[in-house]
Amino acid sequence: MSLSVVVPLYNEEASVQRLHLSIVKALDAGGFDYEMIFVDDGSRDSTLANAQAIAASDPRLKVVEFRKNYGQTPAMAAGIDLAGGDIIVTMDGDLQNDPQDIPRFIEKMDEGYDIVVGWRFNRQDRVLTRKIPSKIANWLIGKVTGVPIKDNGCSLKAYRASVIKRVPLYNEMHRFIPAMTTITGARIAEIKVRHHARRFGESKYGLSRTWKVLLDLLSVRTITGFAQRPLTWFGWLSLPFFLLAVLAVFAALVPMLHADGTFSVTLAGTGVLLGALGIFLILGGAVGELVFSTHKFDRDTRMAPMVAHKVVELPDARLPDRN
Amino acid sequence: MFKQKPVYSVIVPVGRRVDDLVTLLGEYEAALKQSAADFEMIVVLDGWKEELLARLREYGQTREWLRVLQFSRDFGESAALTAGFTEARGDLIVTLPAYWQVAPAEIRKLLQSLDDSADMLIAVRSPRAGSAFERFRRRAFHGLLKWITRHSYHDLGCGVRLFRRKVADEIPLYGDQYRFLPVLAVRRGFTVREVELAQSPLDRFRGRYRLREYVHGVLNVLTVFFLVRFTKKPLRFFGSIGFIAAGIGAAVVFVLVVQRLFFGVALGDRPALLLASLLVVLGVQLFGLGLLGELVIFSHAGETKEYAIRSITEFRQSAGEPAKPVATSAVDPEDRVRENGVADYVRENRAS
Repeated sequence: MSLSVVVPLYNEEASVQRLHLSIVKALDAGGFDYEMIFVDDGSRDSTLANAQAIAASDPRLKVVEFRKNYGQTPAMAAGIDLAGGDIIVTMDGDLQNDPQDIPRFIEKMDEGYDIVVGWRFNRQDRVLTRKIPSKIANWLIGKVTGVPIKDNGCSLKAYRASVIKRVPLYNEMHRFIPAMTTITGARIAEIKVRHHARRFGESKYGLSRTWKVLLDLLSVRTITGFAQRPLTWFGWLSLPFFLLAVLAVFAALVPMLHADGTFSVTLAGTGVLLGALGIFLILGGAVGELVFSTHKFDRDTRMAPMVAHKVVELPDARLPDRN
Repeated sequence: MFKQKPVYSVIVPVGRRVDDLVTLLGEYEAALKQSAADFEMIVVLDGWKEELLARLREYGQTREWLRVLQFSRDFGESAALTAGFTEARGDLIVTLPAYWQVAPAEIRKLLQSLDDSADMLIAVRSPRAGSAFERFRRRAFHGLLKWITRHSYHDLGCGVRLFRRKVADEIPLYGDQYRFLPVLAVRRGFTVREVELAQSPLDRFRGRYRLREYVHGVLNVLTVFFLVRFTKKPLRFFGSIGFIAAGIGAAVVFVLVVQRLFFGVALGDRPALLLASLLVVLGVQLFGLGLLGELVIFSHAGETKEYAIRSITEFRQSAGEPAKPVATSAVDPEDRVRENGVADYVRENRAS
């Protein structure tokens, strides 16, 4: 079983050497057949040069240089695209993850899981700005996507290559990879991992992205849950508005039953507006159907929700006897 | 025809605005011949131009480096450039306008300015003639563009550009995007630099800018705005606007409902209810559009790579030998990159 360790690097010149050493130490001890892929995401310091210097002495290391800074998700996507191993492990380049944990990930994979995610149970970060928001975010992500993982933000994860290579990664989606993979029918496990306090460089995350994460979460929900039948999804969305519309029109008409009743233009107008919204949404769903029906699905490279990821082969004895 | 491919492929798209082309091409030719490198020139006639074609045929008889593409009707400058790119065989592409913009003698300076650190050079006409109003207009346009792209440009209206072939290969042009090619190139991770060239004394747009052109210009900038900021995350854009609209609407509805329940003001008498429901409707619609956008992006996510790789460094070791370099190669050989170039590259690299 071969292993690819993918590490996105952004302005980590002080960590690269240690990172490489710790990975090598951890994996050599376990006798793994592995490669490392460091993806330099347009760093402005000497991260790239440092990494390339290490590559000169270690044939197992591949260094990918991005043309500019694209962000963590594209960096991971590039590493995953280039990885040749059967199992792909991703981790952060800031030494907060510990490669010593990787062998335990592999053990878990051997038990039959397709994805193993790390859980930083004693997280070494600021409580107010990092830990509490992430607790809330994880709870919410679990609720919305239906994949109750305690720590979506932990980069230390292991994937079966055949699963992760089918999941399209874009647009800061790395947070939602476990959720995205459920559509492929992947089996997910979570294990505790060590987490070290940051020693070098600065943290690249802040509170400001909460709103973005919320919107991304909605996208993921739409994609994972409804991508294959947009009309149905938009239909459900339009339902409450249709109900409100009927109610409003009804409320506008009821007074007319009385002798002196007057017809309320405002209420009727509101009803018509809401009805129009309902129609708009359903038609929007129709456009969604159009997008998918005209798109050529490639069963191998695209995420294939309808395709079971693993075929269970029945032993001959269990096949019905034809004679 | 050439026995070997030229260094420069010069593309001259000829649209509506065209000066005395044969004289102009003569001046371009003189300037290009000053540099020792081989060049070819591709004139793309965008729209049926019989007379011009006849003159170019005559002109081209003694000039084997000239090729003329004639479109059956006008398809626009982006199409003309794209056709030129397809036809071009050089590794460096020069686009020149079909009218005097920079002094042709300055082209040599442009060619000399390209070094390894840049992928694209764009000309800035300097010093630039023009009335105070024209200067203001240009400033407003480029100021807006700077705000959108966070990158400063000074003369995007100038068609004199020099770039590496991979730039043309990786960036699909359509609509009015030819003007914004440098913006799209920067977005793709290429290094773009401006070079100041003397303006030709003959450079004067004789037409007048009418309202239509202004509206068109604003819409163009809007397109770039979407392309640069939100193509990958439609819900973030639509969702934010939609949330604001729906939020205001919901707040108004809340106030009205409170008044109805506790102060007995009938809902049916409140025109504000109409306004509020309009806002909610608008907000939800925008949200729906954003979600649709996400579906579109998702359905194409498997085909497009969000990143561009400049190089891959890896050293391989064969048995008994010390590690020796197999790469630190730039991943930009002419026709390999494109969408799935990464994978192709790796395969080749492994095979070697």
